[in-house]
Amino acid sequence: MSEDAVEKIAQGEDILAFVLSEARRLGATDADALYVTSDDYSISVRKGDVEKVNRSMSRGMGIRVFRGESQAIVSTSDLNRDSLSELVREAVRLAGETAPDPHSGLPDPEDLELQRPLPDLFLEDDGRDAPSSKLRVELALSCEKAALSYDRRIASSEGAEFQSSRMTRQMGNTRGFLGGISRTNYALSVTSIAKEGDSMERDYWYDQRPFFRDLESPESIGTESSRRAILRLNPKRPKTGNARILFDPENARSLVGHLLSAMSGHSLYRDATYLKGREGSKVASANLTLTEDPFLPGGFGSRPFDGEGVRVTRREILSRGILNGFLFDSYSARKTGHKTTGNAVRSLGDSPVVGTSNVIVTPGGADRAELLKQMGDGILVTELIGFGVNTVTGDYSRGAFGYEVRGGEIMGPLSEFTIAGTLDSLFSGIIGIGSDVSMRSSIVCPSILVEGLRVSGI
Amino acid sequence: MSISEGFSMGNQESGRDLAGFFEHRFGATPDVLDSVMNLAAGSHIDFADLYFEHTVSETMSLEEGIVKKAGSHISQGVGARIISGEKTGFALTEEIDPKMLHLTMATAREIALHGGNGTVRTPVGKMGRTHALYPVTKEGLVLATDVRRGLLAEADRTARAYDHRVKQVMVSLATEVKTILTVREDGQLSTDLRPLYRFNITVIAQSETNRQTGSYGFGGRVPFSDIPDLERIRQGAREAARQAIVNLDARDCPSGTMAVVLGPGWPGILLHEAVGHGLEGDFNRKGTSAFSGRIGEKVASSLCTVIDDGTIPVRRGSLNVDDEGTPTSRTVLIEKGILRGYLQDRHNAHLMGMKVTGNGRRESYAHVPMPRMTNTSMLGGDSDPKEILGSLDRGIYAVNFGGGQVDITSGKFVFSTSEAYYVEKGKILYPVRGATLIGSGPEVLTKVSMVGSDMSLDSGVGTCGKDGQSVPVGVGLPTIMVEELTVGGTA
Repeated sequence: MSEDAVEKIAQGEDILAFVLSEARRLGATDADALYVTSDDYSISVRKGDVEKVNRSMSRGMGIRVFRGESQAIVSTSDLNRDSLSELVREAVRLAGETAPDPHSGLPDPEDLELQRPLPDLFLEDDGRDAPSSKLRVELALSCEKAALSYDRRIASSEGAEFQSSRMTRQMGNTRGFLGGISRTNYALSVTSIAKEGDSMERDYWYDQRPFFRDLESPESIGTESSRRAILRLNPKRPKTGNARILFDPENARSLVGHLLSAMSGHSLYRDATYLKGREGSKVASANLTLTEDPFLPGGFGSRPFDGEGVRVTRREILSRGILNGFLFDSYSARKTGHKTTGNAVRSLGDSPVVGTSNVIVTPGGADRAELLKQMGDGILVTELIGFGVNTVTGDYSRGAFGYEVRGGEIMGPLSEFTIAGTLDSLFSGIIGIGSDVSMRSSIVCPSILVEGLRVSGI
Repeated sequence: MSISEGFSMGNQESGRDLAGFFEHRFGATPDVLDSVMNLAAGSHIDFADLYFEHTVSETMSLEEGIVKKAGSHISQGVGARIISGEKTGFALTEEIDPKMLHLTMATAREIALHGGNGTVRTPVGKMGRTHALYPVTKEGLVLATDVRRGLLAEADRTARAYDHRVKQVMVSLATEVKTILTVREDGQLSTDLRPLYRFNITVIAQSETNRQTGSYGFGGRVPFSDIPDLERIRQGAREAARQAIVNLDARDCPSGTMAVVLGPGWPGILLHEAVGHGLEGDFNRKGTSAFSGRIGEKVASSLCTVIDDGTIPVRRGSLNVDDEGTPTSRTVLIEKGILRGYLQDRHNAHLMGMKVTGNGRRESYAHVPMPRMTNTSMLGGDSDPKEILGSLDRGIYAVNFGGGQVDITSGKFVFSTSEAYYVEKGKILYPVRGATLIGSGPEVLTKVSMVGSDMSLDSGVGTCGKDGQSVPVGVGLPTIMVEELTVGGTA
């Protein structure tokens, strides 16, 4: 941990202690508060020169106060003590205006993660490793250069960007919980524009890591971005009909995200999920197993406690297609007669919602080529767009981009088509899981092969 | 709703009052501003600005018949920006005092080492021109907590009374008062006091195991004393319930390329995705839009005239001045099918040698301005909306949508239906399940064969995302017939 981070944490603890004691003094029966800081630095280059430098240091406080069974939430970026006091007073007043809800309140004391020290999850560097401004510019320039020089059909780039962020996140409540995590992230990305005749296509590539030294080389990122953009030139439209779809890891991840969102305890108590009543039964093909691991070293979703300060565990949430249970924070657990599963996610301005830490899809044995062979004829999808997913009704329909596959071989690019089905048919139609895991997100996912989806094109 | 093109030179005094708000609160006196802006002077600097923001938002939400949550949120800070040629330096501070203002501008300046044509600094003081599109008194922007609670309860009661199959009703009211001050390198000060509210109702209806959703929202930049309009709230609640109930009978949507009739209002997100984003100055300066270099070309049928208008009173997408201190305007994007113009901020207009259009917008002090849409709509045509639907031989009639997205470079865009019907020989046969429609931006408007006389703006719910920044926008559309669009159904 850097000295700067140590100082920030001390500041954060002061602020949390102050607002929590103010809440008590002003009439709250309970409260929990969050203090977040971020230090972001990004440099982007375009056409071989620096285009944008952005330096942002930001911080904010959010507090949820209870008066009995009623609650209110306030947040601010104004950390002046008088302003904080005034805002906490407003929170206590507002809490008197909402209805009592017997299931609301802080987590039960036995669920809080009170063990100290918290485990080191390898999420933050000590700052000594961080690249100089000069090196950041050089990395972005090399990345763009690799992209632009890849092929004569690369007409331009939307630029390459080196971003870093350092954030701290601290939480405290009036029942003795105080904890925090710090995180660093380094990212390098580039967008390539390919042009041939009337066809113009863009694609991008990126890498992000908690430690700078683990970042992929700028040359490999630039080359991959342009390779992808070139392959997209002169796309055709597929015929309308049912087809096998192979989702690459970057897109397969979104499917897992839809399933997790349908597993939210908040959706459950609202009758707002197509998975309602299906606990313990099959909701996906036996090829799919999901494990939540909050302790994954260096994981983008790793956290030693959840958004309410509750203890977290590594566990299988979906075993060979069987739904082991829904995901709960304290509120949705109480509402539905369950125990919290440590899945609270808290943001500054809202009370907790349900979310996951890291979710790992158990990889299969097949590499990309073997999956393509298993698919035979179908479409390899490398980009999805739009918001046509409804976890209440279970309807799925999204715009896509990809490649025609015939006899296990990748043919030409396809665009301007949709893929649709129900989420149920999608997950039960999973016939293959790849071994090509992508680590760039909190959902650790390989390629996923699905049959029975509807393709809409010509 | 009328469309106003005139500028008002008024509100000088209230503009000064708002500047006084930042002076009083943060010590941003004219002398301090002047000395900070002096850091942004120099032969290499084309543009520079400071953006002061103080935003208070208040939220309340109801579910299961009770008001479960209420909140109040304060966001304040200052963003400093320096532009030199194609380069932008940006920094922000949330600790607002003269020392931090200097430091922040100095950080933003670090990038401006070379390039740029340079400007001569003018002392800070001149108030910029501005419209008067929404109320300007802080007193008119208060709405008591118990009044809010009553409105949420009314929406809940109305939606539940609509049909016994209504199982869940979620209602929320959010209000926001944003006060801004921009200070530019040419000495111009601009202020704006921006009220915004949004009322939203979501309904889940259930019949055996069939669950469906319906959602309706409305809002705008009005005095908050106008929000307690019970009839408007009841109508919104019935509309959300109606959609959910209609969808209980939805069958699988057909798939393939077919004719689509879009209803008036919110389906205007077609324009937002298909053409609006592709006409933003930044993409066109860089040549990365499917519309790059195509001004003067035919990109739509001659029935189509598309405008972006930030000057419509009280609309969600309207602004008195944009976030760079430029008064908003009405920009013709496509005139009778011909591409006429782009949406510009100061930086991109300057680099492209074009006029600013008042479309330089930012989510907050923590974000850099970009060219963004305001209220984007198509002018009404001559056709009777009933005749348009009547002439649909086989296809989809879509009246409500969720969100949309576009790939600027290839021009491919999508938007997803939330209420749509299968139609044969001009007759509505049955509602269909949610489906995504996909098309190509530069082509879709060439396939518009009929434009209705019923142009209407949406009810005030749009939020546009670009490069991680969200801003409120509006859209509008008359009923139109699109001869070919790809419908992503399952049947």
